[in-house]
Amino acid sequence: MEVMESDHVHHAIEEQQEQQHFHVLAVDDSLIDRKLLERLLKVSSYKVTCVDSGDEALKYLGLVDDDVDKNSPASSSSSSSPQSPAQDGLKVNLIMTDYCMPGMSGYDLLKRVKGSSWKDVPVVIMSSENVPARISKCLEGGAEEFLLKPLQLSDLKNLEHYLLKPLHHSCQSNIISDIAAEDDGVDSSDDNINNDIIDSKSSSSSSNNNNSIINKRKAVSPEPSERRPRAKGLAVV
Amino acid sequence: MEVGQMQRQWLDYTKSLFLEGFLDGQFLQLQQLQDESNPDFVVEVVSLFFEDSEKLLNDLTSALGQQSVDFKRVDAHVHQLKGSSSSIGAQRVKNACIALRNYCEEQNIEGCIGCLQQVKHEYNMVKNKLENLFRLEQQIVAAGGSIPMTELGF
Repeated sequence: MEVMESDHVHHAIEEQQEQQHFHVLAVDDSLIDRKLLERLLKVSSYKVTCVDSGDEALKYLGLVDDDVDKNSPASSSSSSSPQSPAQDGLKVNLIMTDYCMPGMSGYDLLKRVKGSSWKDVPVVIMSSENVPARISKCLEGGAEEFLLKPLQLSDLKNLEHYLLKPLHHSCQSNIISDIAAEDDGVDSSDDNINNDIIDSKSSSSSSNNNNSIINKRKAVSPEPSERRPRAKGLAVV
Repeated sequence: MEVGQMQRQWLDYTKSLFLEGFLDGQFLQLQQLQDESNPDFVVEVVSLFFEDSEKLLNDLTSALGQQSVDFKRVDAHVHQLKGSSSSIGAQRVKNACIALRNYCEEQNIEGCIGCLQQVKHEYNMVKNKLENLFRLEQQIVAAGGSIPMTELGF
């Protein structure tokens, strides 16, 4: 296969279609988890930049201003980012962030990103704890997906969906928000399954229990297999 | 010992670690991420885990030894240890951390101290086991063989 270096249109199309060019910003305060995520992403042919906090992520995205008011993302988005990311030449196709971090949480970072010029970049939140209320909050806050740690290669296969269909993704978010609003009846039955924070995760079939909240969400959606990729633990390995 | 024997020993030892619950599927995931371009990935991540854990265990011992125990701080340390042990597949350490977190939530100092001993015990065991495993791997590689990871057959 020959690629004409000077053919910008062809190159742009290639960038859309080839994972090699997708750049992921990974945010996690744990060095071990950063190393793991970096390797998972590289093996899946993504480019990766790792940072260890929400503040560092915002700096990287050019969203830091001196008078940061965490309570009003609207004001910070109007006064921050001196120039659009595209002008900087910085391209970030996906942000993956841990939820529990000292200082700025993954949720806080999500809200900041969604209130900024980077709002169209999909954000995935990761957590070691399966807390239905937390998951709902993140999804309703605009997160594309909520992944349970520890992450596996199969989780990353699902990410392609967000990266290859950017327009479709914004429709998905709206539909999922609507479903979330109607989801109360379904969620209450999750309490029976997820009474305690489920921490264990193994490669055995019992891992499906950990993901039942996410399964439930997909079950409400009319076409789960088309609309949303499977979250975790369900891919046949 | 010739390479084939060492490889069989490696396979048997690895399998036993899974069967005895020291390691879980996440460790397999780590091994899958290792290849010719990153031949030391597992050792690197596990070494980070050892460093991190030793510091956390010291911090925990110290935090639980205070006149007035700061349970939030203890919980934060346990959360971190639980996370890292889960990330590398150190199942028994992770489970011991979960138990310790429960005592922490109850603010039960005696329970915490006893449970911390259990965490340390599990940590030392898995550390020992993994060091044995890595030593075996070094011997295989030094003898010109390769680690038969694909033969684990899980």
